[in-house]
Amino acid sequence: MERTMVLSRRKTINMVIVGVGGQGLITLGRVLGNASIISGTNILVSEIHGLAQRGGSVIVHVRIGEPNSPLVPLGGADIVLGLELIEVVRYLEYANHDSLFIVNNRVIRPSLPKVRAPSPQAILSKLKELGLNIIAINARELAEKAGSSLSENIVMLGALMGTGVLDEYISLDHVKKAIKKTLPPRWHEVNIKALELGYMEAKKQIA
Amino acid sequence: MPKPLLGGEGEKVFLLGNEAIARGALEAGVGFVAAYPGTPSTEIVEALASVAKDLGIHVEWSSNEKVAFEAAYGAAMAGVRSLTAMKHVGVNVAADPLMSSAYTGVKGGFVIVSADDPGMWSSQNEQDNRYYGLHAFIPVFEAYCPQEAKDVVRDLFDFSEKMGHPVIFRSTTRLSHSRGIVRLGKLPRPKTKGVFEKNPAKWTLIPQYARKHRVRLLEKWERIKKELATWPYNRFISNDSKYTIIAPGIAYGYVVDELRTLGVEHKVNVLKLSSTVPLPEDMIVKVLEVSEKILVVEELEPIVEVEVKRIAYDHGLASNVEIHGKDYIPQYSELTPNRVRTAIAKFIGLSVPEYSPVKLSGLEIPPRPPTFCPGCPHRSTFYLLKKAVNSLRLKPIYSGDIGCYSLAVLPPFEEQDIIIEMGGSIGAANGLAHVIDQPVIAIIGDSTFFHAGLPGMINSIYNDAPMLILVLDNRITAMTGHQPHPGTGMKATGEKARIIDIASIARASGIEYVDVIDPYDVSDAYVRLRKALEYVVNEKKTALVVAKRACSLLVHSMALRKGIVTPLYIVDEDKCTGCGVCYDFFGCPAIVPLSNGKAKIDPAMCTGCGVCAQICPFKAIRIIREGDKSWKELWF
Ligand SMILES: Cc1ncc(C[n+]2csc(CCOP(=O)(O)OP(=O)(O)O)c2C)c(N)n1
Repeated sequence: MERTMVLSRRKTINMVIVGVGGQGLITLGRVLGNASIISGTNILVSEIHGLAQRGGSVIVHVRIGEPNSPLVPLGGADIVLGLELIEVVRYLEYANHDSLFIVNNRVIRPSLPKVRAPSPQAILSKLKELGLNIIAINARELAEKAGSSLSENIVMLGALMGTGVLDEYISLDHVKKAIKKTLPPRWHEVNIKALELGYMEAKKQIA
Repeated sequence: MPKPLLGGEGEKVFLLGNEAIARGALEAGVGFVAAYPGTPSTEIVEALASVAKDLGIHVEWSSNEKVAFEAAYGAAMAGVRSLTAMKHVGVNVAADPLMSSAYTGVKGGFVIVSADDPGMWSSQNEQDNRYYGLHAFIPVFEAYCPQEAKDVVRDLFDFSEKMGHPVIFRSTTRLSHSRGIVRLGKLPRPKTKGVFEKNPAKWTLIPQYARKHRVRLLEKWERIKKELATWPYNRFISNDSKYTIIAPGIAYGYVVDELRTLGVEHKVNVLKLSSTVPLPEDMIVKVLEVSEKILVVEELEPIVEVEVKRIAYDHGLASNVEIHGKDYIPQYSELTPNRVRTAIAKFIGLSVPEYSPVKLSGLEIPPRPPTFCPGCPHRSTFYLLKKAVNSLRLKPIYSGDIGCYSLAVLPPFEEQDIIIEMGGSIGAANGLAHVIDQPVIAIIGDSTFFHAGLPGMINSIYNDAPMLILVLDNRITAMTGHQPHPGTGMKATGEKARIIDIASIARASGIEYVDVIDPYDVSDAYVRLRKALEYVVNEKKTALVVAKRACSLLVHSMALRKGIVTPLYIVDEDKCTGCGVCYDFFGCPAIVPLSNGKAKIDPAMCTGCGVCAQICPFKAIRIIREGDKSWKELWF
């Protein structure tokens, strides 16, 4: 019989990535996973397949450090990476007042008859009223600048890296290598550019 | 790009739980794999199919789980290591051969992967398939993370072969769909050829042999229990405490993390369990002997809990120990860190730690259910079906089924009155058609038609149950991520296959009214749907219409991957009256209303299907970019 549990004491970073099915949330998890292998840190990423991908609401749980279980506790997210603002609001219960919010300044209208969606400004100002720590990025614009509107997700990943919250675990360079390992070659250039634009934008906002 | 699944020994790769399960099978030298897709199991066999040619192993998508099970079981009878995988409800479909497999046993290692779905993320129920193990006398094993899943599955082939018995590896959504870093083991050369040795007393379950098998099965079950005493993935972690938490499968990870959160990791013992049916009885007895209080942290049904209580009773230990389980952990849905934390705190008498999630008031956000993708042919078919039904003033019952098209249960379509299980559309229509006066429309996908729709269709002809069978043939199993099926023309490994034609089967079965429509050809499809409905209502006979058009999500992603230019449509603002037909009643997510109510097409989302241009009452939508010629050729 073993005497004690062998547990490391390194803090585990809890992050939720939220957005709409089709925005490339699962790709973000894969890039972070490969970046973790390169940097030598442990990671667990949990996602939901199937129905949720058909334009539905999606949450991906990412735990970096020494996780043994896949889910971020309610109120336990150190980081909320939001690819769409309605979804940021939907999953607020995972955040706490110290969470860092890195959000895409965008609302995607759910395609339901006669639906009313709040504007990005309305959501952002409500979140700011709560005194939350928010970095808002115009990811669509930066993605287009990088060469593809489909790279919004990687812009947001760049912004995440730009905040420096993961510096202890993963570097920008690890992420670049991971992008090359994860995505097909013809998308490397655009996405590295998108990553850098997101990175610089976050750095600029923090400065 | 190199295939991570074929990585060398010692290499670390980032794998989905399901890919780790696949790698475990490869490390055991699996030679035959057959499955039917179903979330959360699908990627196991997708991964195996992607390396089948590299390794020379047989991997197939079978027409349903029963066939898949039987195929893998057959290969194992001949001594080839075999695997079948399915979602929890798939095991219901395969339950008949499952029960028999325990009687005959197997020669080659035979691993049945059941991927359960606590929380019903993509399923109609959350049955706990460990019960199948108890029911069928087949041992059930679990794992808590991708690394362990790989290792357990690898070792299960040895276990199965040693016992000459099938085994169930039970995964759940949060294991199958978690990604983690996995250190790879050795890849042996697979054995793909076997020998079937005739032995009717073993392989034929006629009553005189089956009775003997039944007695032997009970004896074997006792041998299996003994063998489990040394199963290396069960572990008792003692802290010399009187408190023990029993954590089967994925619960172990939550328990370790939450003990740490609560700062009590040295105050309780933990029994980590990987073999959950049957339990390693000697180990449980030892735990019962050193514990005064036990908490079983278990997802879904109290299977381990009930067994532990039984063992306590049988060994005269019941009065010394207090055993908790479902009184502390809800029996529905999945485990979460918060649920486990609360249960542990209560168990050891701590106050439940507070957490303060962010709460926002005064801002309503709309729900976001999944929807048909831009260009989805199902959207067009449902739109036109509704129009046809309304124009004939019919009030049909829509007997629906399981697939992407289930989404039509929601507004604006509301054309799924019943959804029960795969094949249930035609099945239930066979009853409804005899007892109600309204017309019955059975709506079924192509993959689902081959899976379990066929017997129902034949029954409707045999027993005169008139219905319109509408087969939504998008050429692929879309819901689970685009697996080919008997109608696709492709096998799991990407090789060409013969196409089994649904309309021809229908005609050969004696249906006199069979038609094939293209949902993208709006006026033609509408007229023909109307005609088919009139036939069913007037003639009181079954008609079958195939709405044939490939999945646009798949075709569009092929176009993007290959850099093929797709057509693009635009709204003419001057002509648009803001009537909302395209975004509210047709409901294409690529079309959004502007603040003045007029429609706008998002060019990043438009797939170029052109249906909106055909249904716009004011002809306000037109093409502004013709697609490449090769775009047309993508539609298979
Ligand atoms: C018994 C069983 N096996 C598998 C599944 C998983 N599953 C859900 S829908 C579906 C098939 C969908 O394919 P199809 O009928 O072609 O419709 P589509 O999604 O392409 O519209 C499958 C395999 C299930 N729900 N039940």
